[in-house]
Amino acid sequence: MIQSRQQFSSRILNWLDIVAITAWGVLLLSYWLTGKLGLLIHPRYFGLSVIAGFGLLVVGALGGRQLMRSHPVSVRHFTLFPPGWMSSLLLATACLGLLVTPQPFASHTALQRGINEPLALTRSQPQTFRANAQPEARSLIDWVRTLDVYPEPDAYAGQKVKVQGFVVHSPEMPDQYLTISRFAITCCAADAYPVGLPVKLQQSRRAYPPDTWLEVEGKMVTENLQNKRQLTIQAKSLKPISEPKNPYAY
Amino acid sequence: MNQLSSGFTLFLSLLVEAIPFLLLGVLLSGLMLLFIDERKLIAHLPRNPLLAALAGSSIGFLFPVCECGNVPVARRLLMQGASAPVAIGFLLAAPTINPIVIWATWTAFRDQPEIVVLRVVFSLFIATLIGWVFSAQADLRPLLQPAVAAAIPQSQVPPSTPESSRLLQSGTFLLAQPGKPIRMDTTELQATLVASSTTSKPLSDRLQLLVANTIQEIRELGGVLVLGSLVAAVIQVAIPRELILSLGQGPVTSIIAMLTLGAVVSICSTVDAFFALSFAAAFTSGSLLAFLVFGPMIDLKGLALMLTIFRGRAVIYLFALAAQLTFLLTLFVNLQIS
Repeated sequence: MIQSRQQFSSRILNWLDIVAITAWGVLLLSYWLTGKLGLLIHPRYFGLSVIAGFGLLVVGALGGRQLMRSHPVSVRHFTLFPPGWMSSLLLATACLGLLVTPQPFASHTALQRGINEPLALTRSQPQTFRANAQPEARSLIDWVRTLDVYPEPDAYAGQKVKVQGFVVHSPEMPDQYLTISRFAITCCAADAYPVGLPVKLQQSRRAYPPDTWLEVEGKMVTENLQNKRQLTIQAKSLKPISEPKNPYAY
Repeated sequence: MNQLSSGFTLFLSLLVEAIPFLLLGVLLSGLMLLFIDERKLIAHLPRNPLLAALAGSSIGFLFPVCECGNVPVARRLLMQGASAPVAIGFLLAAPTINPIVIWATWTAFRDQPEIVVLRVVFSLFIATLIGWVFSAQADLRPLLQPAVAAAIPQSQVPPSTPESSRLLQSGTFLLAQPGKPIRMDTTELQATLVASSTTSKPLSDRLQLLVANTIQEIRELGGVLVLGSLVAAVIQVAIPRELILSLGQGPVTSIIAMLTLGAVVSICSTVDAFFALSFAAAFTSGSLLAFLVFGPMIDLKGLALMLTIFRGRAVIYLFALAAQLTFLLTLFVNLQIS
């Protein structure tokens, strides 16, 4: 009696493992198919996640076949937690991932991750530097990288600018300024760091609430903000746009 | 609410990025366990203690295992007659010195290649040095758990007779005595049996074992990965940024914080680079290195496993030596390089 109950519970545990692993395979593939992978990781690594998704399904299927044939190769590893905990944890996480869509980072996180600090602190090294003949073709992150290499704001005075990003209301700046920002990632959302440029408006920034996506056109000027000279966009037009499918910059 | 949603995104992104590497690491280590004959390997290792320590540290390349897999392998190596420098070098370096871990670290720190290089160099250096130090103890047995000590062949020559495998079996069995609720032996036993009779087992049996092994490893390591990602996400969103920065920008405090985190968060070395990455914005390079070098060598989970090989005293030596060396090397990085 006791033995059969033990057998029963170990069978349940074995199946729990299989279900948890399969659920993760399903989660990875569903993120891929619904285009949500871009919210989490750099496109460079999409392939790996997709292969892993299929791999987990195969492992799950092979394990399931072993159990169906009822000769489970039952071995228990050294475990830190009681049996079943880890697979339940994996399964619960996968279900959560399937049910709740991850949200891209927004202005709150940008402030928390220090959008107002010099880039040196947010990211130890600039990655690429593209000299661009047409300043208005630079994206926001191109601007920030260019500025990182040659930080004198006056060098860019009068250049045309056209960038897209979301609005951050930085508490340190006067009401007439907002920060247009994006998150840049190199690997996954864990290392997302915010980049941004101040935008000088004709009116109060309350017309553009935080997290609104805008296309800002204007020209570059130098302003004295937070006691330092900063490259600032003098806005000519601000056009609301819809949030891009892939909100991060690379 | 904002906090919660960005914490959730961070948590999921760590998992989605890390799971492919975890799967790859588990599959490869399973393959190696089933298809490499360790005894032949041991027979070819150098005898000079320093070279042996270096060789032991480098054979991690043949066994891409996390820190949870390397303890059973190190124990088997010892029982099969590998010298102390080999076993200790392997124990400390194998989780880091292997292709999957290096690839994952490169993935995470692509724009700071010095972290990838220094991680490998420091791990090799520390593991070799500690392995070499332990070679001063000619007879390792007083430092080992009695059951392991009893299983070491007297001659220190790799055994090849059938007796030795019976000896191994009894040695492994003894460890599962009452009062030691550690049940790792079945897998290990199987792996040993398989490894020692590679020719006798049909391929299909070995593949069955591979599948079973893969499932268990994914469950255990994946579970710890989930917990580790949770810790990373909570630290990132719940602790005020000023506190993290004041801790993370100090050359000494940042290293101490990351050493502690490395010891507490028992995240698998294949994916710990992604965990470290989430701290890259706020912490010094030296402290990230400290986490990446020290974490795989010793952590809470590894400690419990190490106590199945060594007596407490030896584990304390290992722990103290590894922590001090990591601290000094990474402090040097903080003060001189970055």
